[in-house]
Amino acid sequence: MKRVTEYLKSLLLLELAAGLWVTLKYLFKPKYTLRFPMETIPRSVRFRGLHALRRYPNGEERCIACKLCEAVCPALAITIDSAPRASDGQRRTTRYDIDLFKCIYCGFCEESCPVDSIVLTDILEYHMERRGENVITKPQLLAMGDRFEKSIAANRAQDAAYR
Amino acid sequence: MSAQPKDTAPPVEMVEFEVDGHPVSAPKGSMIIQATDAAKIPVPRFCYHEKLPIAANCRQCMVEVEMGGKLVPKPQPACATPIAPGMKVFTRSPNAMKWQRNTMEFLLINHPLDCPICDQGGECELQDISMGYGRSVTRFTERKRTVTDENIGPLVATEMTRCIHCTRCVRFVGEIAGTYEMGDMSRGDSHVIGTYIGRTIESELSGNVIDVCPVGALTDKVFQFKARAWELIAKPSIGYHDALGSNLWLHTKRGQALRAVPRDNEAINECWLSDRDRYSHQGLYADDRAEKPLIRKGGELVEVGWDEAIAFVADGLKKAGSDIGALVAPMTSCEEGALLAQLVRGLGSDRIDHRLRVQDFSDGGPSGATFEMSVEDVARVSAALIIGSNVRHEMPLLNHRLRHASRHDASKHPASNPAHYDISEVHGAKIFAINPVRFEYNFELAGEKVFAPQDFVDAMLCTAKAAGVQGDDRALAEAIAAADDKEDARQWVAALRDAPSSVVVVGDAVTQHPQASWLRVLARAIAEATNSAYNELPSGANAVGLARVGAQSSSGAKAIFDHAPKALITWQTGSQDASVPAAYDKARENAEFYVYAGAFACDGVKRTADAVLPLGLPPEIDGTWVNVDGIVQALAAGSALPGEARPGWKVLRALGAALGVAGFDFVDLKDVHARIAGDLSGQGTGDRGPGQRLPARTTAPEGVLARVATVGIYRTDAVVRRAKALQAHPLNRAPALRICADDARALGLLGGVKADVDGVTLPVVIDAAVPKGCAWIEAGFAATAALPPHGAALSIKAVTA
Amino acid sequence: MADSIDQAGEIRSYTMNFGPQHPAAHGVLRLVMEMEGETIIRIDPHVGLLHRGTEKLAESKPFNHSIGYMDRLDYVSMMCNEHAYVRAIEQLVGVTPPERALWIRTLFDEVTRILNHLMWIGSNALDLGAMAVFLYAFREREELMDVYEAVSGTRMHATYYRPGGVYRDLPAKMIQYKESRWHKGKDLKRMNAWREGSMLDYLEAFARDFQHKVDEYEELLTDNRIWKQRTVDIGIVSPEQAYALGMTGPMLRGSGIEWDLRKKQPYAKYAEVDFDIPVGTHGDCYDRYLVRVNEMRQSGRIILQCVDWLKKNPGPVMIENYKVAPPKREDMKESMEALIHWFKLFTEGFSVPAGETYAAVEAPKGEFGCYMISDGANKPFRVHLRAPGFAHLSSINETTAGHMLPDVVAMIGTYDLVFGEVDR
Repeated sequence: MKRVTEYLKSLLLLELAAGLWVTLKYLFKPKYTLRFPMETIPRSVRFRGLHALRRYPNGEERCIACKLCEAVCPALAITIDSAPRASDGQRRTTRYDIDLFKCIYCGFCEESCPVDSIVLTDILEYHMERRGENVITKPQLLAMGDRFEKSIAANRAQDAAYR
Repeated sequence: MSAQPKDTAPPVEMVEFEVDGHPVSAPKGSMIIQATDAAKIPVPRFCYHEKLPIAANCRQCMVEVEMGGKLVPKPQPACATPIAPGMKVFTRSPNAMKWQRNTMEFLLINHPLDCPICDQGGECELQDISMGYGRSVTRFTERKRTVTDENIGPLVATEMTRCIHCTRCVRFVGEIAGTYEMGDMSRGDSHVIGTYIGRTIESELSGNVIDVCPVGALTDKVFQFKARAWELIAKPSIGYHDALGSNLWLHTKRGQALRAVPRDNEAINECWLSDRDRYSHQGLYADDRAEKPLIRKGGELVEVGWDEAIAFVADGLKKAGSDIGALVAPMTSCEEGALLAQLVRGLGSDRIDHRLRVQDFSDGGPSGATFEMSVEDVARVSAALIIGSNVRHEMPLLNHRLRHASRHDASKHPASNPAHYDISEVHGAKIFAINPVRFEYNFELAGEKVFAPQDFVDAMLCTAKAAGVQGDDRALAEAIAAADDKEDARQWVAALRDAPSSVVVVGDAVTQHPQASWLRVLARAIAEATNSAYNELPSGANAVGLARVGAQSSSGAKAIFDHAPKALITWQTGSQDASVPAAYDKARENAEFYVYAGAFACDGVKRTADAVLPLGLPPEIDGTWVNVDGIVQALAAGSALPGEARPGWKVLRALGAALGVAGFDFVDLKDVHARIAGDLSGQGTGDRGPGQRLPARTTAPEGVLARVATVGIYRTDAVVRRAKALQAHPLNRAPALRICADDARALGLLGGVKADVDGVTLPVVIDAAVPKGCAWIEAGFAATAALPPHGAALSIKAVTA
Repeated sequence: MADSIDQAGEIRSYTMNFGPQHPAAHGVLRLVMEMEGETIIRIDPHVGLLHRGTEKLAESKPFNHSIGYMDRLDYVSMMCNEHAYVRAIEQLVGVTPPERALWIRTLFDEVTRILNHLMWIGSNALDLGAMAVFLYAFREREELMDVYEAVSGTRMHATYYRPGGVYRDLPAKMIQYKESRWHKGKDLKRMNAWREGSMLDYLEAFARDFQHKVDEYEELLTDNRIWKQRTVDIGIVSPEQAYALGMTGPMLRGSGIEWDLRKKQPYAKYAEVDFDIPVGTHGDCYDRYLVRVNEMRQSGRIILQCVDWLKKNPGPVMIENYKVAPPKREDMKESMEALIHWFKLFTEGFSVPAGETYAAVEAPKGEFGCYMISDGANKPFRVHLRAPGFAHLSSINETTAGHMLPDVVAMIGTYDLVFGEVDR
């Protein structure tokens, strides 16, 4: 008897039909996909995307060239040169380059920064068109910080309790 | 041979005791920390420094001690507790660790949160010991104190809030530098370290306070904020501004030399470094650094490739035939010196020399002999005679040894334990000096005589007579016989002769003297007669090595200055390196074909040179240098060569091959080194050649002032002259006419007028250090380049406004 | 056909290269196969094309700098690799993370296991001709990657485990979809239904629902005749062989050996959670499929238990020993001691007492181990990483010779190879 039912099951392609039923059901369910780039999946406040250098509200750059980020960077993606600033002799960077090809986005630089200067923003859509553009310089990083300061600050405020 | 210091120390008595359960033995009288350091048992400390007197004021090295089976109830500072037989020391017991942790907490209470902006970060003893022995979080929530900074000069940056009052700098400046420029003031919360009045530290060893400072209170101002310790690659290198050859680590980042720190070598520089060696790296990156080969085409210097430049130079030299000459900087490596000598001699000339500051070559000039008494032993002499030398400026760390001797006479303090410093018991060596001006020494002299250059030979004759020197030369014997017999000279000589070990130090004012051959022979005779070692300071880092490889000739540089050759090569030299800069300029202008091979294409070079070959400077090239003790130091390149500059030996290899001179078919520097290795290990003779007679003595006309032309401490060579921070240092005095008040009055130079010296206008400084009859105008400045050399008569008049 | 070639006097077998660029090779694998017609006589894996020197790299950096590189070994089971590495450091230093951190690690090891097995089931089914499973599996992967992102900030290379705990505590608010022209109102509410509460709420909802999702995969595959034809009796590994070839994980359990480090040498909080070890009977590809599917269900169970504990027990997630773990950001800004420790830990790291250790975790693919020697410095003297995939791949000749060419694809699938870990 068992052999007969199995033969019938096999003959009638029952298991294939069951599989097809699963897929058929999804035809009538709401779509799971999103219309990227018009809409995106949820983005964590901890997201580690493109880098930025922040400023204090008074416009002073935060970075003090302590080079902890450069030291902690496992991929050696950060290159910093520093010198006393001409105007007031403060310790400042004269060069702050991040090689985006080397960067592994581990977030150690942000973690190590004692003044919350270097941050990883939640920006993930960016590209380079020419060789050399992968190295982003200090003015570019500061510009990123200026442009996205609001969201950078908001994300960090939301996650403040965990930092 | 003169007396060498005898090993008079009695056998050292050892004490057996126990540290953390391990048996340790150490010489009697050692402190616990010296024993644990020797046994490599770590004990945290801030104020203790091997070479400085013990202060025991940081209280970090607390250990638990058990004596006679009973624990000592109070914590004991390991640096100030002498060891005793049967003592048991616990460095890691719960109590010891608690004490160390608590001391650390107190030290950090007032320490500012500066690590991110502090240059010491990463190489900070406070950080290391805090990680290793301290707490994890602070319990101190009150306000921290702050301290106002002092500007202590262009070399050392201060951030006194970071100071933990270990007083290492105070003790260094007092005990080692000997200038007592720093101290600690006030008590308790107001306790600060400073210079009392906010002045610049004027010691020539001031940079060492950076090294001894365990925190970031004193940091390198030239290096300020440039790099972190972990970014730097340390390359072993040496100082090349005096013949001591101080060992140092050149710290480079991406090939650029950013700072220099001492490399321990007890025989040479101990753990110290002179400011000149420490900060000269700044000069490597001067604006006029030659980076591309230049040749003169149609009256203009144009940049060309190396091949073209070498071909051009070879062509020019060929045309000159054997009428060529070469002036070599005394810091040139042995290999380059040997190759250049080979090139010049291969072309049929013997006119090569590195002794540009010497005027009197009648005895062949300074022989390039090594010190008869090693630098290390100088610290243990019981008597010394300095002749014509501002040792402090000429060789700062030799001066440190002399100072050490002057304060700790080894014959009276046989215990070699530096911990036994006791200022109340200074019975130092007796040090005498005969100088053209009263140099400022940082130790007490037992006797000092100051004679203007024209009277210098007389003064030496007088001393020689007191020493009973006969003189193997008739002129000399007659001169000695005619000299005055002076009581104080006899006392000096007696002191030198009676001392278990003594040394005669001969310096720049003798070397540069127009009658240096007389002075040298007298100094040597005095040394022999008093059983003292004869230490003649060579001028330039590798004078000894260059003499050994034959980069000098008996006629000396004078032969080139007097009769300009058709083709002249200057190797790393500048006009200010010569005793008569004007003669140097004349020689290069008169030469039909002038090749400048060197590091700096300054205006003078660009105006006169037919070809400029950019070369690497000592820290940028492989090479060998020989120091005053004959120690041969072979070094690999430290920092990167700028632009298209090449090591000199490569240039000479190409040039020699282009000229077809024999012996230039070597492949690399090793071959050259192997060729000269025999010469380098040999001892320089130091004797006057047979048959050379002393020149006739000259006497200066009465009433004319003779020039004293010592070289300024930071004007010795082209690199130092371009090191900005050193140039800004107060020890680097602006060119001026320094004369005594009497002479000034006679010449009408009082009252703030300027002086006209042989057509050069100089400010007048009334200086009590200058004796009557001479004018002290330091050499090495562009402003004084037109003046006659050391010992020459000057015509001085007041400038009428 | 083989005969005709033989008659013509030509060579019987020929050599064929599979990869290194082949969609079924799951990375840069090159297989040199000696074939006789469709049948494989000998198969020789050539590895190393993705070699990045991770071990040497780790030896050139302070201990705490290399965590990010561990993610990139087996890049579909990221946190499990981190787990082995940080456990090795913790063993050498002699610190134990706080309870909560251990529970979080247990939770995320299982999340990672599901991520890995979803990747495996999707790609393996795709290789063997079933498209739909891949789509569904990746849908669930996205859900879990949102969890990864919520805690660590990245969807794959988390760098979340640290010696002494985990980087940050689980967020109290799960990330949500934002309103857009296409998704708003009720639709948006539906999408964010699980995401209203904390991340743990979200995971709980996911884990409960996930059992149904696994049912769906099974409905698509388990009884499917094509699936069975491609997997049943393919690549049979006997228990003895499995031992001899150094197999671990589902490869071993598929052959009927009940060996799971989570049970046999429990680490983190596995001793305190209730789960079963699924084992196979035949040791063929189909059994290994069943084992893995069942493991997904077990992981769901563990996740629910972890979520339950974590909800009830708040607490620190990092040890408060600043000699090993950096201090809190707030402390660093006010306390000198904390700032010094901060500075030193990020620049030099910490020195680890001299010694050697081996720490292994039951990674989704098998035993992932980290053998570490310290000479007392701040950098490891030696790090060796035991990747299960390497041992598995080296057995390919034993298991696949005699099979047909298409079976190689099934075998590569069943090995669950990721070249990040094989080549390291």
